[in-house]
Amino acid sequence: MAAARVVIVKAGNVWTSTGAADPGVVTRMFSRGFALLSGEKDGPRAVSSLFRPDDRVGIKVNTIGGRALSTRPDVALPLASWLSRNGLQGKNLFIWDRTTRELRDAGYATSAGRSGIKVFGTDTDGVGYETGLVSHLSVGSLFSKIQTEFVTASVSLAILKDHGLAGVTAGLKNYFGAIHNPNKYHDFHCNPFVAEVFDAPPVKGKHKVSIIDALVVQYHKGPSYHARWAAQYGGLIFSLDPVAADSVGWSIIERLRADAGLPTLKEEGREPSYLATAEKMGLGRAGLGSIETVEETVL
Amino acid sequence: MKRRSFIRGAAGAGLVIGTGLPSVRAGLAAFGAKPNLSRVEARYYDKLPDREVECRLCPRLCRLGDKERGYCGVRENMGGTYYTLVYGKACSLNVDPVEKKPFFHVLPGTSALSLATAGCNVNCKFCQNWEISQVRPEQIDHFDLSPDSAAAQAQTAACSSIAYTYTEPTVFFEYMYDTAIRAKRRGVRNLVVTGGHINPIPLADLLAVVDAVKVDLKGFSQEFYSEYVRGELKPVLETIRAVARSKAWLEVVYLVIPTLNDRMDLIREMAKWIRNEVGDQVPVHFSRFQPMYLVKNLPPTPISTLEAARETALEEGLRFVYLGNVPGHEGGNTFCPKCGKVVVQRVGYRIETIRLKAGRCDTCGTPIPGVWT
Repeated sequence: MAAARVVIVKAGNVWTSTGAADPGVVTRMFSRGFALLSGEKDGPRAVSSLFRPDDRVGIKVNTIGGRALSTRPDVALPLASWLSRNGLQGKNLFIWDRTTRELRDAGYATSAGRSGIKVFGTDTDGVGYETGLVSHLSVGSLFSKIQTEFVTASVSLAILKDHGLAGVTAGLKNYFGAIHNPNKYHDFHCNPFVAEVFDAPPVKGKHKVSIIDALVVQYHKGPSYHARWAAQYGGLIFSLDPVAADSVGWSIIERLRADAGLPTLKEEGREPSYLATAEKMGLGRAGLGSIETVEETVL
Repeated sequence: MKRRSFIRGAAGAGLVIGTGLPSVRAGLAAFGAKPNLSRVEARYYDKLPDREVECRLCPRLCRLGDKERGYCGVRENMGGTYYTLVYGKACSLNVDPVEKKPFFHVLPGTSALSLATAGCNVNCKFCQNWEISQVRPEQIDHFDLSPDSAAAQAQTAACSSIAYTYTEPTVFFEYMYDTAIRAKRRGVRNLVVTGGHINPIPLADLLAVVDAVKVDLKGFSQEFYSEYVRGELKPVLETIRAVARSKAWLEVVYLVIPTLNDRMDLIREMAKWIRNEVGDQVPVHFSRFQPMYLVKNLPPTPISTLEAARETALEEGLRFVYLGNVPGHEGGNTFCPKCGKVVVQRVGYRIETIRLKAGRCDTCGTPIPGVWT
């Protein structure tokens, strides 16, 4: 397997005076990130390297953490807008998560109209979960119809957090929000469940790219928000390799923990062992030695 | 009629007889329904620093950050306070024969108002009710039914008991407990159908207010519990011991699954354990498995396997051993352990004859243990 490529795009001036992320800066971060990821400077070419023009693209966000610690609307909406300006149709873009309530609590205005970018939860009337169980390895779950029926391609747009049980929650575990019973998969540090949910056909068959919102990183006491251990990292992480993206995210968390004088996740007995499992399953590269990390800062 | 089709048939019938309440068994088609969750502070948990909580209700001891739910999916940490989301939120309500639970030594021939909310604290791959047990409450239809209303409706429907059943009642402990108190005041008995994953303190509190407990012993090895139940055997055995020590009546059910937990040496070991630890008078039911949920690749349990399990348990000295889900089989009857006569004859869930007088065999006068009146 060739080395995986992970792109980190940072911006020193991403925050506005109100504390929101500047959509113009975020858009430039996406533009640069996709260019570095695809090797295509031209936006439409970068997009077409990942998606078909008629793809209906799901942007799976993670909004369980409320306004303080979810994938920001200031990030998800600029991504959707950028994709729609570079070859995808706005009406074919779905920003989604488990519930409308969580999306709203995270600051999203929901929208399920026929035209334009859509934002809604699986619990929206007429959506819901499939009635047929997907039984895959040790996982048995109902998948959101958004993942199975509404979209043809999938972006994991997660947030980077420490997680008391999983160790780290990022792009792979974000898909726990695509199943009806994530509470059943937190034993054994979520291993092998994170890897196996991702490996299930409704996810693996559609996932195209992992993007991790690391503008703010919760590096300790996650997945809940604690200002004391939340760092303004100011980056977005991109990779076509979902395991490598999360492994790099883990390394960022470890650096922030070390800076704060905290023990490593391994020392706390909760390193994200599901990443090694995911690598064994052929889902991507977990070892940093086999990952090429490219970091740039946009103005 | 199979259990599931009976439930569905009952749901289709419209109302719980005599109560005016909808006979309900929530279905998956209801996914997407608007949530109607309770926010009642849970019992049995510790508040920890940084808005974390540790649930003390069951052996999982879920430690949860803010906004997280326990393994059961029905208890949530909101800002450092732990809440049950299913208090008074019934998803299933039916009038069932008490034999269906099954309780064979508790008020035979009577009806039990059978009540459930969503949720379970294990994840059996062979779950027979997974559409309601393995989901979050907001993912299925449910309706408001307060403890007072449940107790009153049981009386109105001429039910001798309320059975907390279908899913795992431990996860709706607060609702069950408060309902049991109110039912008891009205002279309605309380029956618990559980997998036994509950910690000793809440169990002791529960046993003070309920009349009978049926424990599903799902296997007799930790390996089976790890692989197919996602739980622990030891706490279940502790629960069985605790129920046997209490004033509540105990029955044990063992769902026999071909190739997974049907080894006769393990069944013999289990029978010995029951005899030695809780006594030979405890009724034990060997129930027939039907392919379901994540175990669809196995056939229904052969009757011969169930018969062999029953014979094995009888050989080990258990006095009351039954076959379940095999309507019309003689293993569904209660025999006097002394004279061998049938004292309770059943066909499926229907009682044909009862030959008991004041809890004694009508023929030879031997006491038959149970809750008969």
